[in-house]
Amino acid sequence: MAFIRREWTAAAADDWCKEDWLAIIISPLAYVALAVGTALSFLLLPVGFLILGIAIVLIFLMHWVIDPKLKKISIDYEKKQKDYLEQLEKITRWEDLK
Amino acid sequence: MVQFALLDWIWMILFLALMIGCGVLFYRLGKRSESDFFLAGRGLPWWLPATSVYATHTATDTPMWVTGVIYKYGLTGIWYSFFAAWCAISAFVSTRIFRRSLAYTQAEWQSLRFTGLGSELLRGWVAGWQVFMNMFIMGWVGIAMGKVCQYAFGWPTWVGLIAFSAICAIYVLAAGYWGVVMADFQQGIIALAAILIVSIWGMIAAGGPGGIINRLKTLNSSCEWVIPKDVASDALIRITDPNTGTVWAQSENPVPILKKDDPTSTEQNQQYLEKLDEKVGQILANQAGLKNKQVQILFPAGQDTLIAGFTYSIVWTAGESGEKVNLDYSLDQGKSWINIDINHYNGQTWRINPFSFSGFTQGQFPVAWFITMMIIALIGGFGMGTSIDWYTEAQRIQSARTVRDASYSIWWGTALVVIRNSIWAAAILGFFVLFPGIGETGKYELGWFRLGFDFLPAGMVGFFFAAILAIHLSTISTQLNLGALYATRDLYQHYLNPEATEQKLIWIGRFSTFLLLLGSFIFGLMMEEITKWLIFALWIMAAGVWLPNILQVIWWRFNAWGYLASWIANLGLSWLVVWVLPAFGIIPELPDYLQFWALMLLTAFIYLPITYLTKPEDMDHLVKYYVMSRPIGFWGPVHKEAVKRGLLAEVQAVG
Repeated sequence: MAFIRREWTAAAADDWCKEDWLAIIISPLAYVALAVGTALSFLLLPVGFLILGIAIVLIFLMHWVIDPKLKKISIDYEKKQKDYLEQLEKITRWEDLK
Repeated sequence: MVQFALLDWIWMILFLALMIGCGVLFYRLGKRSESDFFLAGRGLPWWLPATSVYATHTATDTPMWVTGVIYKYGLTGIWYSFFAAWCAISAFVSTRIFRRSLAYTQAEWQSLRFTGLGSELLRGWVAGWQVFMNMFIMGWVGIAMGKVCQYAFGWPTWVGLIAFSAICAIYVLAAGYWGVVMADFQQGIIALAAILIVSIWGMIAAGGPGGIINRLKTLNSSCEWVIPKDVASDALIRITDPNTGTVWAQSENPVPILKKDDPTSTEQNQQYLEKLDEKVGQILANQAGLKNKQVQILFPAGQDTLIAGFTYSIVWTAGESGEKVNLDYSLDQGKSWINIDINHYNGQTWRINPFSFSGFTQGQFPVAWFITMMIIALIGGFGMGTSIDWYTEAQRIQSARTVRDASYSIWWGTALVVIRNSIWAAAILGFFVLFPGIGETGKYELGWFRLGFDFLPAGMVGFFFAAILAIHLSTISTQLNLGALYATRDLYQHYLNPEATEQKLIWIGRFSTFLLLLGSFIFGLMMEEITKWLIFALWIMAAGVWLPNILQVIWWRFNAWGYLASWIANLGLSWLVVWVLPAFGIIPELPDYLQFWALMLLTAFIYLPITYLTKPEDMDHLVKYYVMSRPIGFWGPVHKEAVKRGLLAEVQAVG
């Protein structure tokens, strides 16, 4: 199996796994690079453009890693959402609680 | 004062008509149901809540806050605004979990996560707290708008506070969240355009990017000095080598300091201070100092009279750039010295470096602060409510049409916030180069607004003011609708009238919106120092509940009583640790990052025993929540139970 999984079953997508952790690590790095890269690029410093470039690569990488999993979770969850919403309305009425 | 040309008035009137038009256009959608009035029917594509996240977090006080920290700390100040980065992890963790819960609000989520009396108390507490916080936030954003209008038009602050929030209420009352999110989309675009135009324009006025950097290389050195209010004697200032203690420079003559309430000083105060700012700016720009290899204090000198309780810039010859110095002052002719700053950089080029720290624990920007902030912001993304922004984001998360849309809306909305802060930061370096001698925070906080009002050509000032209105209205509208959501869903519907019809709930939503608006005026008129309040709210009041906010998401055993205990303990302890105990000399005044760790530890001594001394939440309830939300972390026993009951498709290893 490839290091980054591209095809997901509903049950596997619900679980927390390597792809989630990769997104969790890449995402803050992308923000840091965006913050520093943008400020220095506006000052027209070459290092700013380099860091901004790294930020863009990181963002693409993050989406590539996590997007198939998010799509699967969403499709699977939307099927159950109506039932869950009904359950939610019951919980809102607090005197119904045991 | 700003003078409007005809074109300026046209910009402003067009913008206000567009916003009020939003209320009319989406009135029909907003009144369909409670879900429409507060969540736009849970059907928005990711880019709509994303622009709403961005627009909402671009408030009138935000450029003041960012300007304040960048003017003081240079690009290192970017990290103060990096609190928003909690969304980096949240977008893929707590956002996903919260979206799957379908809870309207964070308070409602707690009824899904916890159970019984503890959960009910918690829901009421969190909802009440949020209603209060929404009024508080609108108050401080509103008074920021009052200050901007006072600077631009000379209006009393209450006029700016009341007039524009009241206009905003029109479309929020009419169309609810539909009006908010659609107006936010337009406001986000207008605000981003204005931020780009004003920042680039301001940078060009300061000599362009190359000119700014060159100017920073030639300016003399400076450091802020806040003179305590009770000082009333002559002072000496010295600059020393931080490693050897060698004195590099000392005032030739003592500098007289007048008491703040001295009659002679009150007469002069404002005009005198403004003249001093100009003088300091000229001294900073005087390049003669560069030729002098010897360190020499240029301001204040013996002929300068200072007033206690105000902030000044101490200026000395640039020396070698990158070298660090310590600054002290003495009130007893040099017998004893009081520290002003430790490890402060010589020259001004340090302002271009986003990592110019003053040591690990020492000085104005220590690495320990940076690490603490990174932990708070990033690790906080595993929890819910670790940032005060979570509560507004929670509404956007639930309004997204899918889990994926929710994740991307939070991620991209915050990415825009991060980019925006950095654009501002570059522009504020330009402002610093133009006006380097401003001592008082309240004055330099207005730096970005000054770039717009002072340098944009006639006809564009109206566009700039329309953009200021956009950033103001986007925040106020969100807070109005959000506060009304908590008041309606969590207080009225949950506790008072569970069988209320959809129509009734919408009217309660509108009534709550109106009450919140009135409350915000009262809070706004009570506030003065924006930065001080923001730091307290962002940093301290969240410290003790930061870890419990994560534990409630990642640890099955954490219960409602533990969470409630952490809130109550934090409210008491934060005032004790920050103000009361230091005031009585029981503990020293701690730097803010140590206050955070102290509060986190102290509250844990209260809520962890309470968690273990009380029962875990009911397993049936936990299993329901687990299957629906699939939380991350330590949920082993609940997972096993869910598998045993056949509610999960396969056995997976969980913490």
